[in-house]
Amino acid sequence: MPQNTARTTGEYHKQIAAALDDTFLRRTLDKFAVEYRTSRDAVFAEIDGSAAIKRIADMKDAAAKRLDELYEQFKAQAERRGVKVHRAADAAEACAIIAAIAAENGVRTAVKSKSMTAEEIGLNEHLAKAGVDVCETDLGEWIIQLRGEGPSHMVMPAIHLSRGQVADEFEKATGEKQDREDVQKLVKVARRELKPKFHVADMGISGANFCIAESGAIAIVTNEGNGRLVNTLPRVHVALAGVDKLVPTVDDALAALEVLPRNATSQRLTAYTTFICGAGPCAKSPSGRKAMHVVLLDNGRSKIAADPVFSQVFRCVRCGACANVCPVFRMVGGHRMGHVYIGAIGLILTYLFHDRKIAATLCQNCIGCGSCKDVCSGGIDLPALIREVRSRLSKERGAPMLSRLASLAMKDRKVFHTLLKFMRFSQKPVAGRDGFIRHLPMALFGGQGFKSLPALAPKAFRDMWPSLRTSLDKPRLKIALFAGCAQDFAFPQHLAAAMKVFAAANVQVDFPMGQTCCGLPLAMLGETASAGEVAKQNVAAFVGEYDAIVTLCASCASHLKHGYRNLLGAAADSFSEKVMDFSSFVHDRLGLESLKLHPVGEKVAYHASCHLCRELGVKEAPRAILRAAAAYVPSKEEESCCGFGGTFSVKFPEISAELMRKKLENLAASGAACVALDCPGCAMQLGGGADKLKLGLRVAHVAEILAEAL
Amino acid sequence: MIYRNGKTLQMKNPSLAEMFTLRARAVAARVSVASDEAAAGAVIAEERAKRGAEGVGVAHAALGIAQTGTCIVETDDEETRLQTMLPETSVIVLRADDIIPSLADAADYMRERFKDGKISYTSFITGPSRTADIERVSAIGVHGPLDLHIIIVEG
Repeated sequence: MPQNTARTTGEYHKQIAAALDDTFLRRTLDKFAVEYRTSRDAVFAEIDGSAAIKRIADMKDAAAKRLDELYEQFKAQAERRGVKVHRAADAAEACAIIAAIAAENGVRTAVKSKSMTAEEIGLNEHLAKAGVDVCETDLGEWIIQLRGEGPSHMVMPAIHLSRGQVADEFEKATGEKQDREDVQKLVKVARRELKPKFHVADMGISGANFCIAESGAIAIVTNEGNGRLVNTLPRVHVALAGVDKLVPTVDDALAALEVLPRNATSQRLTAYTTFICGAGPCAKSPSGRKAMHVVLLDNGRSKIAADPVFSQVFRCVRCGACANVCPVFRMVGGHRMGHVYIGAIGLILTYLFHDRKIAATLCQNCIGCGSCKDVCSGGIDLPALIREVRSRLSKERGAPMLSRLASLAMKDRKVFHTLLKFMRFSQKPVAGRDGFIRHLPMALFGGQGFKSLPALAPKAFRDMWPSLRTSLDKPRLKIALFAGCAQDFAFPQHLAAAMKVFAAANVQVDFPMGQTCCGLPLAMLGETASAGEVAKQNVAAFVGEYDAIVTLCASCASHLKHGYRNLLGAAADSFSEKVMDFSSFVHDRLGLESLKLHPVGEKVAYHASCHLCRELGVKEAPRAILRAAAAYVPSKEEESCCGFGGTFSVKFPEISAELMRKKLENLAASGAACVALDCPGCAMQLGGGADKLKLGLRVAHVAEILAEAL
Repeated sequence: MIYRNGKTLQMKNPSLAEMFTLRARAVAARVSVASDEAAAGAVIAEERAKRGAEGVGVAHAALGIAQTGTCIVETDDEETRLQTMLPETSVIVLRADDIIPSLADAADYMRERFKDGKISYTSFITGPSRTADIERVSAIGVHGPLDLHIIIVEG
């Protein structure tokens, strides 16, 4: 049962609006987002998580390169043990194979345990047409089958439903009145209703989490115990899995099992993890042996395995963690985050397995915060793959207007900067004196009313530069400053504060005038070629002898450091390795002891910008600075996204606004008078929001807090 | 420390059994200790007396995993498998010396189970059957046992 079929942006925004108004969904996912983090941290503390994830990534990367060989080995070993192995080229063929198995064995009823692959191929609908009655037995899957829906999460398919809604379905299914409050009683209803079905079913259908090539064994990871009943009681067992589930050895499966349940449900291991090696005895079968089939589905996977960028997708073990930590999923739920597969991987698989038109709409809904990449069981660079989907769709279908315009304007620095200066002139009638724009013609900026927008500064940093530049006799270090457009044109005060800090630390600063936008917005829009051109211009502008290239923008820093290597390869190396964010430069390179600080005592909270805390892994430096320069107060969910995400806030203002409100709520609750951060994008979002909501919360760059304490 | 009748556990590697017990209890399994097979038999008889013979399934674990509180049970035979699935109480007998530290340590054993065209069905059981599919509320006993009682046999 496919979920999202939004083929137009308008249709999609309607769905999103409905989700944002669903108070039950919002409350459930909010609670889940917070609790998941805590419980996941606890079970990962017991293992070397990053080593285990690296091992899965390496193993899966190697497996993707010898798919045919692994398939042949698996088939030979499984068939030696009485299992018939099939390879299906696409969804239709897989459905036909399974329907044929049912027909050969005179199957009328089937029980099924959870399988996302079966959802991918629409197996239930196909078997129903072939006259086979399929009953889902996983509790969540059964509930959504009764409702005629698809899963809203890969591991918790009915997470979007309340106990009352479940009770409604159970009343319809059983014809009996149900307890609407007691979840334990509702669970027992499923136990009672489904038990007879296992005993009478002719066929059991399951997925498989691992297909072990060296022995032809499959492993199935479950919790409820329905999986084992499905593959034990009926006389026929069909296991359906993508060819990406092939792993070379049992050691590989065990290594992946160290991560999969921890990441999926914060369990050390699920209640039942089953290894089936060969067709064993079966009392119900006339031959006394189980009729066992494994159907391995390709459906585009071989092509994906050979793709230089998308082959990473093979590392996915379907744990669902990318949804669990996604700030957008938290707001809108799984039915808005994928056609069949859900979460960050769902956006990508919608493009790879399903409908490009739906993918073109859905793949826009990634804010690029990197939370998913940070927890992925296979270390997949999910945000980069989503950008790649956008880029390929642009090539295939033509770029959307916004992307084409941005590309045109930003490729040429002079055109871009002239445009910005023109905007400064034209904002005059609407800009307030304190740097905010509060009243905009709404026809131009639909949905942007949730925050005040920053006015472009009267004087850009590059125009202030001649009066700010310093010349030191014996500088300790010589650095180049990368301004980034947002700070150069909207927040020059961040850079001016940093200049004071550099002067106090005897650091010589150069500001190469040839620098332009870092190009991240273009990369986010999928305008890869233009992003590459812009990158080349910046690398050329920074050829001098510098000890470091420092930027006050976390997003620029992460793009200059990591993005440029993807765009330009080794040509970016000498540039990228010098790039440092301001907080790290001050804390790690200069050392706080080299500055004489007089803390002002103001209570300052910290907002950890996505690109700084995840993409660059910088966590301690800014907090140490705040502790030394002010009175740092921790707040809840410091590392969750502010909702800006560059062009995301323009494309999805309704989601951006909700993320911002949540963030500001947590910051206000900390009792701080000021929030410090390392990114002008976040400053724009939170500063604009705090102004609009009249919170009286000052938003400042870490550099400003530090300069105030000099 | 696990105490039985006021004495500490007698086994080669008590720390593994302690870790196993801790982790198995964390997933709602009951863990008790018996000095030998006969004592384990007495515990099982007691369970059967309390819940009726039909309500109790008995199986023996080949290995236990300390890190996860898991029992590895050879369930090649359909009847043994059903003993760990259908009755409301599942009793698994585990020898203390068969407890290994972690999941990865089960690799050699598993390879042996898969060797030479062998047909096998191996169940890693970690606590009773559970779900959180309705509102993420944890519930024990969906399609499998409502109750898992692991008896660790010393010596």
